[in-house]
Amino acid sequence: MAHVVLTDLVKTYGNFKAVNDVTLTVGDGEFVALVGPSGCGKTTTLNLIAGLIPITSGEIAIGDRVVNDVDPKDRDIAMVFQNYALYPQKSVYKNLAFPLQMRKLPRAEIDRKVKDAARVLDMTHLLERKPRELSGGQQQRVALGRALVRDPAVFLMDEPLSNLDAKLRVQMRSEIKRFHQDLKATIIYVTHDQLEAVTMADRMAVMKGGFLQQYDSPAQVFAHPVNMFVASFIGSPAMSLIPVEARTVDGRAVLTGAEGWTMALSPLNARKVRNSTTKKVVLGARHSTIKLHRNAMPDAIPAKAYTVEPTGDVTFVQALLSGATVNISVPPNVVVQPDEPIWLEFDQERLHLFDGETEIALMAD
Amino acid sequence: MTSMTNRVAPRKGKPLDVWRWVGRIFLVLMLLYTAVPMIWMLLTSIKSGFAAMQFPPQWWPNEPTLASYQRLLDPTNSVGQDFLRFFWNSLFVSTATTILAVIVAVPAAYAFSRFEFPGRNFLFFAVLLRNMFPAVIFLVPLFILMRLLGLVNTHGSLILTYLTFGLPLAIWLLKGFYDNIPYQLEQAARIDGATRFKAFMLIVMPLSAPGIIATAIYSFIGAWNEYIFAYTFLNRNDKLTLPVGIQRFFSENTTDFPGLMAASFMMSLPVVVLFLLLQRYFVRALTEGAVKH
Ligand SMILES: Nc1ncnc2c1ncn2[C@@H]1O[C@H](COP(=O)(O)OP(=O)(O)OP(=O)(O)O)[C@@H](O)[C@H]1O
Ligand SMILES: [Mg+2]
Repeated sequence: MAHVVLTDLVKTYGNFKAVNDVTLTVGDGEFVALVGPSGCGKTTTLNLIAGLIPITSGEIAIGDRVVNDVDPKDRDIAMVFQNYALYPQKSVYKNLAFPLQMRKLPRAEIDRKVKDAARVLDMTHLLERKPRELSGGQQQRVALGRALVRDPAVFLMDEPLSNLDAKLRVQMRSEIKRFHQDLKATIIYVTHDQLEAVTMADRMAVMKGGFLQQYDSPAQVFAHPVNMFVASFIGSPAMSLIPVEARTVDGRAVLTGAEGWTMALSPLNARKVRNSTTKKVVLGARHSTIKLHRNAMPDAIPAKAYTVEPTGDVTFVQALLSGATVNISVPPNVVVQPDEPIWLEFDQERLHLFDGETEIALMAD
Repeated sequence: MTSMTNRVAPRKGKPLDVWRWVGRIFLVLMLLYTAVPMIWMLLTSIKSGFAAMQFPPQWWPNEPTLASYQRLLDPTNSVGQDFLRFFWNSLFVSTATTILAVIVAVPAAYAFSRFEFPGRNFLFFAVLLRNMFPAVIFLVPLFILMRLLGLVNTHGSLILTYLTFGLPLAIWLLKGFYDNIPYQLEQAARIDGATRFKAFMLIVMPLSAPGIIATAIYSFIGAWNEYIFAYTFLNRNDKLTLPVGIQRFFSENTTDFPGLMAASFMMSLPVVVLFLLLQRYFVRALTEGAVKH
């Protein structure tokens, strides 16, 4: 196993920058999830690490070796492709055996490893089939198996579970996690599914438009998103982002909404707001940090329930504030009617404040 | 609900059936149109010389005989000697053309399909440009060139010419095959420990086998049937290929229709056999299931 260091990594296609100055260190034995919206450069980044496409500038090191000019086969990596890339003319067995044959392992060892992998992935009965005779989920498991039979320095996985049904996905998720713990494998794992990222990864790298936005533990990314994009991308339902205006009333910093309400700020939040470059500030709050009251309360902001969505465990209430939709979760025994007046109390400890111009999180100092 | 699920796509009534029958009749007519000359050729080849000349013609030979075939395949008489020599010459020229065409077309098509290089589109266009002119206009210039190179009356002149005319389409055909083989397969192989060349040989080659075989058959048939250039570049009797040889031989023996038909039938045999193979390989959709769609 080895660590991976990306330094100022850039990949351009013509004028288009698919990967933009990405600097990132993946520790030895660390599980890093690469997340971001479609087209943000996740696959491109993996391909650069694998050496499948030439880098425009920057440096990639695996272990203590700079691999910029090293052939993919000599980088000691295994990869699960987003579209599987199974060898169509080979049986499942031969697909799994191929990387081992290329490394000239003895036949008996190949056989043992292939059968082990097949057992873990529950596809012993499929070994003689051709890829086209498998379902999408089965093909995906073969693709995963072809990486797991190896013992490389780094695993690169491009959405390896995207095509599995919910049950199988949960099962495979724990298999991969288990595999990571047992082998202390270094894994870079691309996913759309933030639940996957949060549950599996030691650290997650959030990308957008080729830029690395934030790289931290899932808990940190969740608790302290560096900007509005990360804030809204991580967490479900998404964090509510309410445009407000910073004002000073009686020498104290407050926020006012489009409806005319005013919110007093804690000293820490007041310091943050003073650091904003403009009066335009965005208030961010996750559904669980907003308290819903059915009567007027001091410090609670008046609003009106817009839609009510019971899910069984919790009920989600949406309200409109300053033109933004605000999500609030309440226990299922709280029955709110649409159009009912409600009062929202924001937890000063857990609310987020962003600069309305730069969209960057405001800091206290 | 049940009435919905039980409903089958409505069957169209009479109009559809009429058109179906029109189609069938048309197909039968087309089949007759293409098959009758072949059948006539085969039937004439097993008649005696006298029966073949009768009028009104005998459709079915009264006394079928394989005498013509025996004569053509007998190396001890002069007719058989010539025929077998022509056959061998054709086989040599066509096979050499085919092998060289594949050796050149495979890497060329692969490069056009996989690599970005300066002038790629222009070069590919140039390759196809050749096909926009009829081959005959190159006849005289090529003859002069062959004479300068001292290649007149050699099989090399034909092989070179056939390559020139066959390669553009061969490259184009094969490029289509490579375009359809996902690049990720090679990437996967390279990560699995193969060199670029090994990935090509172990993964791409087997997948493009149908394309290579189709290309080979196309080159072979083109060379096998070619007449004009062979007629122009060759005049020594021992060098002639089948199309020219048969024509020349039988213009000297005008009345031997069964012999002519037997020779023509045997000439078409390799093509028929190759076409049967071609069918088998074209139908196979090997890349199915390779990538997620
Ligand atoms: N060969 C190429 N030529 C030009 N642009 C490309 C090429 N490959 C990728 N891109 C562009 O680079 C950007 C990043 O692509 P990439 O495949 O890395 O996205 P991704 O994050 O993996 O998205 P997804 O989640 O949909 O798989 C996209 O905008 C894509 O259009
Ligand atoms: Mg991708």
